[in-house]
Amino acid sequence: MGLKVEKVTKHFGEKLAVDNITFEMDKPGVFGLLGTNGAGKTTTIRMMLGMLKKDSGEITWNGKPVERKNVNFGYLPEERGIYPKTKIYEQLIYFAELKGLKKEEACKEIDYWMGRLKVEEYKNMLAEKLSKGNQQKVQFITAILHDPELIVLDEPFSGLDPVNSELLKGVILELVEKGKYIIMSSHQMSSIEEFCSDVVIINRGKTVLKGNLKEIKDSYPAKKLEISVKQDITNQIQEAGMQIDKNIDNNYEITIQNEDQAHQLMKKLVEQGILINKFELKKPSLNDIFIEKVGE
Amino acid sequence: MRDLFIVAKFTIKDMVKRKSFIISNLIILGIIVLLFNVPNILNLIKGEDSGVEAEHSTNILIVDTENIFEGTLEQINNMELGYKVQVSNTEVPFEEIKQKIENNEIDDAVVVTKVNGQINLEYIVESLAMIEQMPEQLVNAITAVYSNLQISKLGLTAEQIQSLTPNFSFEMKQTSEDEVQGNQFAMMLMSMALFFAIYFCAYQVSSSITTEKTSKIIETLVTSTTPRTIVLGKTIGIGIVGLLQIAVIVATALISNALFLDEGMLDGIIDFSNITPYLGVVTILYFLLGYAVYALLYALTGSTVSKPEDVQSANGPIAIIAVIGFYLAYFTMMNPTSDLNQFAAMLPISSPFCMPFRVMMGITSIQDVLISLGLLVITIVVVAHISIKIYSQAILNTGSRTSLKEMLNMYKNKNV
Repeated sequence: MGLKVEKVTKHFGEKLAVDNITFEMDKPGVFGLLGTNGAGKTTTIRMMLGMLKKDSGEITWNGKPVERKNVNFGYLPEERGIYPKTKIYEQLIYFAELKGLKKEEACKEIDYWMGRLKVEEYKNMLAEKLSKGNQQKVQFITAILHDPELIVLDEPFSGLDPVNSELLKGVILELVEKGKYIIMSSHQMSSIEEFCSDVVIINRGKTVLKGNLKEIKDSYPAKKLEISVKQDITNQIQEAGMQIDKNIDNNYEITIQNEDQAHQLMKKLVEQGILINKFELKKPSLNDIFIEKVGE
Repeated sequence: MRDLFIVAKFTIKDMVKRKSFIISNLIILGIIVLLFNVPNILNLIKGEDSGVEAEHSTNILIVDTENIFEGTLEQINNMELGYKVQVSNTEVPFEEIKQKIENNEIDDAVVVTKVNGQINLEYIVESLAMIEQMPEQLVNAITAVYSNLQISKLGLTAEQIQSLTPNFSFEMKQTSEDEVQGNQFAMMLMSMALFFAIYFCAYQVSSSITTEKTSKIIETLVTSTTPRTIVLGKTIGIGIVGLLQIAVIVATALISNALFLDEGMLDGIIDFSNITPYLGVVTILYFLLGYAVYALLYALTGSTVSKPEDVQSANGPIAIIAVIGFYLAYFTMMNPTSDLNQFAAMLPISSPFCMPFRVMMGITSIQDVLISLGLLVITIVVVAHISIKIYSQAILNTGSRTSLKEMLNMYKNKNV
């Protein structure tokens, strides 16, 4: 059940935009769709939502082909846009009605979400008079006001200040609690790490990494070591054959070749009676993994 | 169907609420009311009351010091030519005549003198800028009065006099089987009005689609409904607004005519006997179908651009097609029974500007109208199919304008 993308391919003329991509989201939560600019994320999303026809492969939702009649989905595109010369409330009603809501239901939902996202004071204003962040919140409302099962959020936090980012994060968590399937595409790795249990990384149309985020990170050996001590241990580190990247007041950041090397260093320091305040083997962050996988 | 209604309703509401739309329509209605008040304004400027008989007649002072016409000149007043003649048998100096014209006591003056047996008429007007010669009607009237005077002196019988001044009756006949009715000039003007109504309403579709694309709303929209619904909903919505606009303009003109113009004042310009309910239905049908052809063509070009500055050049080819269609109809209307005018009435790009006026002139059959409408409907279906297919692919393209080659590839693409 859930969303299944199997061996999907798409060409634009001679150019291969998406090459045999496969991934699955089988339980509610947030799924991360990552990739560099032009990697094929938007094309994949457009195919998932039926905006573009795929050349080959299968995209299903609960076993049925993804079509508007089979899937109740919401979409926040990366390219933000609302009718500039139309009042906010009128365009929200328009989109709600197009998504199948009756006017009374639409008004109720719009009032709730405008209040929840703190934009109710702008309901009778022309969209062009709103700040970029508030326009983004309005567009986020169009994506969710019809209570969709599948929600695709393309860069949901870009352009938002920290206060509004937190507000949006709260709403996303609320949606997850309600059992929604959310696909999030973002370049903000911290956001992906915060929300996503599973990810897929696309590069030049191909899947370069996919799976459970924790398992992926655990599968990478630690390459950095952070040690905080009361005295200078530069000699001990160098004798152990490790490279110091940074040292500020005996807080060391060290590049290691393997985890065993780090354990040997700790053993030696303990034997020498050196008091260790902090000893942490650093696994690569999602950002590091992303750069390793898609960096030139 | 529900989505089509929602898109059309939103398009109508969005359009009629725009300040620019309200202001431009108020200006058009204001101009119409103003045009119907031109005679009243001219009278106000002249300081005369509207509606008095004097406004239609030209006051002429005829100075006949030698009494050459022997007091018969006032017969001109009975000829119903629109002249009100005052005759003076005493000399009136030029300065006094000038004063009378300036004071609007008279419009013109004629001074009659006899030099070497030859009667001389001196015609005095305020300005000769727009007058090349003395009005023919006035010359004829004065000549007739003088001839009658001289004939009456010959001692002829009433029959002889009657035979000398025959009252001919004139009739017109044509060799062509099609009898042309109505005022051709008025029809050309109305053809032009229909062209502008169709063209500018259709252009709104392109403008609306480009706005959705440039403001990036389109991605949200195409996930809410189908491209076909968007194109057709917009076309219907803007068409309804256009029809309402025309209805308001026509109603304003009719009300203004009733309120501000004297009865029958427009009879010389428009032959109201030719304006029938059948003509009304035909005109509305051609407006709607003609609009649909051009609106769908504009939907196609509107979807191919991503920047507002490219809209003009993208719409250029459609504007050329529309102008060719219009001129084909307009110029062939000068010879409405020609084969070329019949062709223009059948060709879908020109028939909306041509056929209603062939109907008005009474030179076309119902079968021809039905064939022409059928051709228009087929064209609409073909254009809609092509436009919607290309629109649904081009609308998500960003960056440079979609080329003709790309459009052809989009149309050939079976995977849509």
